[in-house]
Amino acid sequence: MAELDEVIHQPLRLRIMAALNALPVSIGLEFSKLKKLTGATDGNLGAHIETLARAGYVAVDKAFVGKKPQTTVTATAAGRGAFSRHVATLQEIIAASEGER
Amino acid sequence: MIDSKEASAALSEIDEMVRRVRQSRIYDRASLIAVACGLLVVAGNLANYVVPRYGGVIWITVNLLNVVVVAAMSIVDYPKTARRTVDFRVLAAFVLFFAFGILATSVLGHFGPREMGVFWPIYFMLFYCLAGLWFGWAFIAIGLSITVLTLIGYFFITGFTFLLWMAVVNGGGLIVSGLWMRWGE
Repeated sequence: MAELDEVIHQPLRLRIMAALNALPVSIGLEFSKLKKLTGATDGNLGAHIETLARAGYVAVDKAFVGKKPQTTVTATAAGRGAFSRHVATLQEIIAASEGER
Repeated sequence: MIDSKEASAALSEIDEMVRRVRQSRIYDRASLIAVACGLLVVAGNLANYVVPRYGGVIWITVNLLNVVVVAAMSIVDYPKTARRTVDFRVLAAFVLFFAFGILATSVLGHFGPREMGVFWPIYFMLFYCLAGLWFGWAFIAIGLSITVLTLIGYFFITGFTFLLWMAVVNGGGLIVSGLWMRWGE
């Protein structure tokens, strides 16, 4: 059985990746929207996005919309692949446990 | 390695996030449409109040503009969403919606201006309520609220003041509920 991806498995990072993966390829979420969806605090969310970005799983784009800074987070191809494998591993764990019964 | 209970909990968490993201995207789009339609409805009611004899022309124009606004939003939003909101099925739905409304009000029912003013918003809100069964309770709350306020106007507000009431509760209601969907959720 494949190993779980430790970067993604942390609960908040799992939620972030699940949210980004639910979007069409190359479409991202604004930081404020991601914060609302995950229920995380600014600091916590920022730190976990940083971890995902270091792993190459998300791309962070900072831009100005008018005079307001706006951060958009998008899942990369590597991130989408890792997330799919992580989900497959979770499903394998459940299937294996059902097989043992 | 985790056990199957934890794996199952993680998958449930993923499903919940996917549901929230989808709902958020639907609310984002619907809120813009609600605000735009609300502004048009306010304008339509005020115009009808000022020149009542052109009510028919005013409301045909408002409804056509509604369709144009929804189509324009879909085109402008496409690079951000990678999804077409308006396709053949949506346009067909608009045609069926108006065809049934015209059949009920003008062919079978012979509604007067006041009944027309009540029927169309309530008919429109029926679809809000139905959409709510799939896309989230906010649609049901908005649909029911505007329906009740519209009926209050119909039974208790007489004369052309009714059009001002409709501008506030129908047009204003759509604007406020659009903003609520956008910022409150």
